[in-house]
Amino acid sequence: MLTIKNLHAQVEDTPILKGLNLEIGSGEVHAIMGPNGSGKSTLASVLAGREDYEVTAGSVDFDGTDLLELDASDRAREGLFLAFQYPVEIPGVSNLNFMKAAINAKREHQGLEAITAKDFLALVKEKSALVELSGRLRDRSVNEGFSGGEKKRNEIFQMAMLEPKLAVLDETDSGLDIDALRIVSEGVNAMRDAGRSFLVITHYQRLLDHIVPDHVHVLSDGQIVKSGPKELALELEAKGYDWIKEGIA
Amino acid sequence: MSAANDKAHAFVAGLAASEGLAPLAEAGRQAMADLPVPTRKSERWKYSPLTPMLATPVRTATAPEGWPEDVPTNPIPGLDAYRIVLLSGQVVAEACDLPVADGVVCMPLSQAMAEGRIGEGDEDWSAYHTREWVGAVNAAHAQDGLFLSLDAGVVLDRPVLVHHHTIGDNVASCPRHRVHVGANAQAEVVLWSSAPEGASGMVNAVLEGKVGAGARLGVDKVQHEQGAVFHLAHEHVTQGKDSTFRIHTVTVQGHWVRNELNVLQHGSGSHTIMHGAYLPKGQEHVDNHTTMDHTVPHCTSSELYKGILYDRSTGVFNGKVFVREDAQLTNAYQQNANIVVDAGASINAKPELEIYADDVKCSHGCTVGQFDEEALFYLKSRGIADRAARALMVQAFIGDVLEGFGQEEVAQEVEGLLADRHGWM
Repeated sequence: MLTIKNLHAQVEDTPILKGLNLEIGSGEVHAIMGPNGSGKSTLASVLAGREDYEVTAGSVDFDGTDLLELDASDRAREGLFLAFQYPVEIPGVSNLNFMKAAINAKREHQGLEAITAKDFLALVKEKSALVELSGRLRDRSVNEGFSGGEKKRNEIFQMAMLEPKLAVLDETDSGLDIDALRIVSEGVNAMRDAGRSFLVITHYQRLLDHIVPDHVHVLSDGQIVKSGPKELALELEAKGYDWIKEGIA
Repeated sequence: MSAANDKAHAFVAGLAASEGLAPLAEAGRQAMADLPVPTRKSERWKYSPLTPMLATPVRTATAPEGWPEDVPTNPIPGLDAYRIVLLSGQVVAEACDLPVADGVVCMPLSQAMAEGRIGEGDEDWSAYHTREWVGAVNAAHAQDGLFLSLDAGVVLDRPVLVHHHTIGDNVASCPRHRVHVGANAQAEVVLWSSAPEGASGMVNAVLEGKVGAGARLGVDKVQHEQGAVFHLAHEHVTQGKDSTFRIHTVTVQGHWVRNELNVLQHGSGSHTIMHGAYLPKGQEHVDNHTTMDHTVPHCTSSELYKGILYDRSTGVFNGKVFVREDAQLTNAYQQNANIVVDAGASINAKPELEIYADDVKCSHGCTVGQFDEEALFYLKSRGIADRAARALMVQAFIGDVLEGFGQEEVAQEVEGLLADRHGWM
């Protein structure tokens, strides 16, 4: 599904990713953990196509497509989804019009007709139930006046609406209370299937109690320095990141 | 005589003197001789110099032979309205559809004058011709327009559409309208101006309005002119006690536009709404000068103008708010927000508040910015293409201006025209 080879990226001449390699198979859930400043969010931004980040070396193959050649909207239409760490408020753009435009952009890309109003509303009903997003929130402007938890639920709602092939969750657990964490995780788990992969970026192990990964990677100074099964997350929680750093020093 | 005055003299030499409004025309001619032709030296015209307009003389069109077949008399699909249509400043009577009802007088201004409905000394409510050279030009050459007068308590059952269409090269149009809404009466007016590709010249339009005690007047004003028309518009409205005046001014398209809106509150308890939007492209120029004059206590005003400037277009917003000494407990709000899309575009925005009363609530804000890049990225990250994402954000930005139109059909038509012009979905 996703093959990252020797990825180097920088922001304003500061190198952040320094030769990152990662392979995610179809249907797999990978978690990336790591200390602050290790490059976790940079990886998410580079994958989604944020323009402030410059890729200086390496390649990213997404299901047979050279991802780095595409702009952000084309990446999304190819089936990539980024759940933002800080979802953006857009006053005046209704959540539903936004989703309709996004779905139709993808359908057009696939050579399909625009979705009918009836089908769209049915889809909204089904997917919003998944993350317990109330009608009141659905009908408002995008993220405007949403609490932190509501914003994250809205991200998962959008993911469910767009049914991506690969979803990158960038610290989706940050700012969530226990209930919101459970709702968001259940939403993600309901979306897990053989054709869909996840890259879960997180600081804390607690999210991985709910979204159980197939593989865990540790990112440090722009490289993946250790990979292992889901138990690696528990070990990190117990021993801290210094343990890894010492190991590679 | 200065070079500017020579140019101005040559510019207006081909304009026919007003026939229908003789006393006003004479005063206008006199004022034209006395008033300075505005130049960049005057603050009010600094960013909208008349030089490009004055470069090519204009002339009054010959009397129209009828309404052009390829132009709808009512350009707004679905709008059920009375109608007065003007071609290059002159009323085309056979294409009009005017209300006939008790307490309603609605007719061409020239007819109202001939019938003595405009008395001696009553020709000019705004004194505009004594203040501005362009106002004097209108007064001296005013051709015709709408005369609407509602008796006390009359509620007009449908809006009155005033459709002004310009055709021909270097044509001068000087329409002039008068609207009087009697005490507790209510009227809605749609001012629509259009011109085809290839039209050129000047439209110099004046509307004078009086809104009586407890009365209500709403105006939807839309400028959709292709070609190279210089459009000067002035609305001057005075409000009586407990009255409401609302105007929405949207410039969909215009080569060079100067809107000058003056509202005077003479009666306490009155409320004014002034909303506007402008989205110039190419090298278009749109100027909105507004004056909100609070002279009496317990009045409110709400002003919201939004602009999006593309390419090498230029814009001006100048919003004056006066709160006079007696106007205690005024609540005045003014907001002007602009997005400058391209590096070659510019806006000169200037709020001017003069407050002489001490117990008032006045707030104002003025912003000039670019697109919110983070929001754009967010939209794009969901698969929406750059162009469509920008369009969504523009629609969101001006949405609150477009929402307040008096006639839903006008708002829809405006949105459709903007969508076509800017490639929105």
